[in-house]
Amino acid sequence: MSTTSASPPIVGAHESAIRVRLRRMGETAGRVLSNPTTLGGLVIILLMVGMALLAPWLVEPNTPNASQMPRDWGAIAVPPGSPGHPLGTTNTGGDVLYGVIWGARTSLRLSLIVVSVTVAIGVAVGSLAGFRGGRIDEVLMRIVDVFLSIPELIFALAIAAVLGPSFRNIILALAIVFWVKYARIMRAQVLHVKQNDYVDSSRVIGDSNWNIFRKDVLPNSITPVVVQATLDMGNIVLVGATLSFIGLAEAGLAEWGVLVSEGQAGISGGRWWASTFPGLMVFLWALAFNLLGDGIRDVLDPKTETR
Amino acid sequence: MTATTDQRTVLAVRDLKKHFPIKDGALQRVVGQVRAVDGVSFDLQRGETLGLVGESGCGKTTLGRVLAGLEKPTSGGVYFDLSESQRVELDRALRAGQGEDLARLEASHRVDRLDGTNWRRFRRNTQMVFQDSFSSLNPRHLVSDIVGRPLRVYKEASGSALTERVVGLLEQVGLGRQHLYRYPHQFSGGQRQRISIARALALDPELVILDEPTSALDVSVQAQILNLLHELQQSRGFTFLFITHDLSVVRHMADRIAVMYLGRIAESGETTELFNEPIHPYTEALLRANPDLTADDEGFRGLEGTVPDPARPPQGCRFHTRCEYATPDCGWEIDDVVLQLEDTPALFDKLAGVERRSPFDADLEFSDSDAAAGLATALQSEDVPASMRAAIEHVSVGAQKVSIKFREVNEVLLTPRGNDRLAACVLDALPKRY
Amino acid sequence: MTAPATNPPKTTAPVVASVRDLRVHFKSKGGIVHAVDGVDFDVRDGETLGLVGETGCGKSVTARSFLRLVPMPPGIPVSGSIIFRPRQRCSSCDGAGCPTCAGTGRVVSPCPVCAGSGCDTCEQSGAETIDLLTIPERELRSIRGNRIAMIFQDPGKALNPALSIRKQVAEVFYAHRSDELLVSAGIDPGSGSMPTTLLRRRATQQSRTLESVLLSLPPLRSGRTAISEAADDRVATALAETQIPNPRAVMDRYPHELSGGMKQRVMIAMALACDPDLLIADEPTTALDVTVQARIIELIKELQQRHKTAVVYISHDLSLVRKVADRTAVMYAGRIVEVGDSEQIFHEPEHPYTRGLIDAIPGAHHERGRLAAIEGTVPELIDPEPSCRFAGRCDYAASVCWTHDPTLGPVRDREVACFIHHPPEHGEAPSFDRTVR
Repeated sequence: MSTTSASPPIVGAHESAIRVRLRRMGETAGRVLSNPTTLGGLVIILLMVGMALLAPWLVEPNTPNASQMPRDWGAIAVPPGSPGHPLGTTNTGGDVLYGVIWGARTSLRLSLIVVSVTVAIGVAVGSLAGFRGGRIDEVLMRIVDVFLSIPELIFALAIAAVLGPSFRNIILALAIVFWVKYARIMRAQVLHVKQNDYVDSSRVIGDSNWNIFRKDVLPNSITPVVVQATLDMGNIVLVGATLSFIGLAEAGLAEWGVLVSEGQAGISGGRWWASTFPGLMVFLWALAFNLLGDGIRDVLDPKTETR
Repeated sequence: MTATTDQRTVLAVRDLKKHFPIKDGALQRVVGQVRAVDGVSFDLQRGETLGLVGESGCGKTTLGRVLAGLEKPTSGGVYFDLSESQRVELDRALRAGQGEDLARLEASHRVDRLDGTNWRRFRRNTQMVFQDSFSSLNPRHLVSDIVGRPLRVYKEASGSALTERVVGLLEQVGLGRQHLYRYPHQFSGGQRQRISIARALALDPELVILDEPTSALDVSVQAQILNLLHELQQSRGFTFLFITHDLSVVRHMADRIAVMYLGRIAESGETTELFNEPIHPYTEALLRANPDLTADDEGFRGLEGTVPDPARPPQGCRFHTRCEYATPDCGWEIDDVVLQLEDTPALFDKLAGVERRSPFDADLEFSDSDAAAGLATALQSEDVPASMRAAIEHVSVGAQKVSIKFREVNEVLLTPRGNDRLAACVLDALPKRY
Repeated sequence: MTAPATNPPKTTAPVVASVRDLRVHFKSKGGIVHAVDGVDFDVRDGETLGLVGETGCGKSVTARSFLRLVPMPPGIPVSGSIIFRPRQRCSSCDGAGCPTCAGTGRVVSPCPVCAGSGCDTCEQSGAETIDLLTIPERELRSIRGNRIAMIFQDPGKALNPALSIRKQVAEVFYAHRSDELLVSAGIDPGSGSMPTTLLRRRATQQSRTLESVLLSLPPLRSGRTAISEAADDRVATALAETQIPNPRAVMDRYPHELSGGMKQRVMIAMALACDPDLLIADEPTTALDVTVQARIIELIKELQQRHKTAVVYISHDLSLVRKVADRTAVMYAGRIVEVGDSEQIFHEPEHPYTRGLIDAIPGAHHERGRLAAIEGTVPELIDPEPSCRFAGRCDYAASVCWTHDPTLGPVRDREVACFIHHPPEHGEAPSFDRTVR
């Protein structure tokens, strides 16, 4: 006796597992991108990431240090459209276009490093706490609580100030502050997923704890982490720019926050370009990742997941 | 069901208890225990279907989980795969107390003490089907992953050989090759249960524990699944432990039944006999409350009262607080007086404290003497069940205090009633047929 | 105390609600789902009508349509009407019961258009006739909880966990019986004086912040307290009627402190508080243990007898409905396939689906492994063609079953929608003698 399933038409049996899995991933991606704002966000991201990766070919890298702003002492504070400086220069002769493009590179580096590190640590700690429970959970969560009791920005500020002003230290400070968020998220998800019968089923089958974690718990817990990581790619840059804006990064760095800070003084004199263009970049970067993150969340959130 | 000399006992459960601690306060101290399973013993013979019946809070799901190895017992033992002679030896050794014989049997058969190879053997041979077909299948896995998982874990097959075995299993449960590469959400509830069953059978286990496998399904789909389970048992000789609250289903599927109430077995025996002539009042109440089982011209009735707190089970017989046939020997105690008081706000509001010398003997202090006198009068009136009145050995009224002493009785245990039947009741039989 | 056996036939009682060709569809990704597709039935005063079917048959959507509780979107109200003929208190006996109202204490409200003589609006019945699907929201609100009440499957989800029992049950009285509350508090609801207006607004829970402040001042405070006490009395009475022990203590508790059975009793108390003409019970005992279920059923039947309320009882459990309902309608795939006396349907089902359903229930006579399983699954109901929806699973289906919609037609004492009983003029008709499987 064979029963018909209520599913889409049954395809031939020579369909392979891989093709089915790929097709599902493609469908999910399609759903994410069917939303115009999400798609817009992705396009902006691709453009900016492209700009970051192709930076050395878009503008001549500065010597000796490409991440320092090149100074053209003959063209101080010239407006956009000036020869050789399409977006103008700062009041120290730094090419704003260079700052915009290399700033993207710096931002990409910042967000990738911080997000990777924080996700890795946070997921590990949160999984351990949620999966093992008991003492380990209590100890780890108390540590997390301590971290969470300090406002992120202040904490990052304090660390960066103590360690000394440098962009590397900003990265470090942000990593130290932001991992707890993922630990919390992951732990909550693991605790929730553990309640499902399929986890018990794997235990009854006799699979090892590590396999159960890897195959049953992790894949079903990771979605909110992915969403948060996407959002954080944008927000980290925002926070980083804030920190460098208030002076915690090296002066003269080709980074958006530094540029906004340096160009501030000129605004009252009508020289808007030195702050505005980098500021716009920060805005666009954060906006784009937020749009993408929201789009992913709308699709992958269990409440809206189709059965 | 008579045991022959080569009859194997798949599970021998001996005085099994599973308690969960109740923590309270900032320091999370343990203030009590939820006695989910509180002394259960039975044998499960190879090839039979034992039905485990009860309502919510009776402990049947917890019992199922302990037997499946998902939880460790608090005390008592579950012994796996004993021959007839081993089972006899086990009971003898348990009676004699801890000793070499017992230790030897425990090392090789007691589920929570098994070592490597023996544990693997138990694990492979004891599988489970869960109630919720949606949460028992990993939504990110394909059917081929789900059903093939047991085979992968024990490295029984891989690659195309694995796929073929999975297809074979799917066909056994009425699905097919075309379902291999689908996700669980693409199937109906009945089909998902079939997938669950196929997974449980993958390793050809001795024992399958089914925890409410059809409770979430429509009647017509349930019929399909029950037919399938029977067919599989006929052809492959599985032993089933069938946990359910649905009496019509259990009557249909089980050879023997055990009725659970508040952590213990109230009655057990062969299915048809138990249904035709229940001995325990709770069994009778269950039968009477079930619309399928009451004859056409009868109405059906429910049960008064609520299930007592599993952290404080009643004395004597746990069912005495709700039983319509209760006798003075059923375990009437001070808690019953307090329960009655809760329904009389006039007196209850004046209750200042209860000093217990034992569960049967206590002083109740009131804030005024009228209330104390009121209680004493009430205890001798019709407001209180006759059997409870008769169980009072001594009442004395002080200024604002009432001292009460009830007859002390022991826990009512399961006793044999002939024909493989066991019942935990002081009565020999029920006064009237339902 | 045993629940009464089959009640005497109530087929002559006046109709209190009438569902006519109800169609409710839903927008979905795959198309339009025809969840309810042409449902007709009557509910008579004082009877219990069971609505039985398996998952997806449309019984819940039908039930919720009475009070327009189906979310639209994704629901699409397609066509059909639900006619309601409310009752009012019998003026001769003021609700106590007399020959005029045949002891029920209620008489049919006369039609406002023709004052009871008969006109088109009331379909010549003389009774006030309302189409629940089209009346304005304001009017429907005064009917909900008042003339038509509903109880749901999971009492845990139907009660607000943040409000005490007292507050929740009192809401019913504040919403529909505010004048009575004022009278009990010694306030004349008709008076236009400022204090009375403020108190009346309090009784209908419309007080604004300033008003609440004024009400807490001494001259008005006693009035406010009197209203609260009047409400409390009614709440306690309502709870006591559902056999909740110690109602005054329970009133102060919160839903999570009560057992499932108790919560269901609270819901029943809320539903019957205003003595409704019609009670819709959507699987009220499915989430409860069987011994608790039996008591709740006993309670519903008892209250129904006392209040003379008509009840529509929805369930997937055919054996239960048989014990509870006078008449039963069996639904499948958005349509009613059979309707008639409950016992008779159980004993001699006429529709192949009903037969299959009854035979699938494990009974003493069934050999193990031989439960009658209905092959296949429910069809998808997306943009369906005209046909009998059961044809794909029926043992007797013939060619006409695949091309035409069967309609309910009389068969002895009931109605059945099947071509076996009502063969078409042309085409091959199915028959019980000819199995196709």
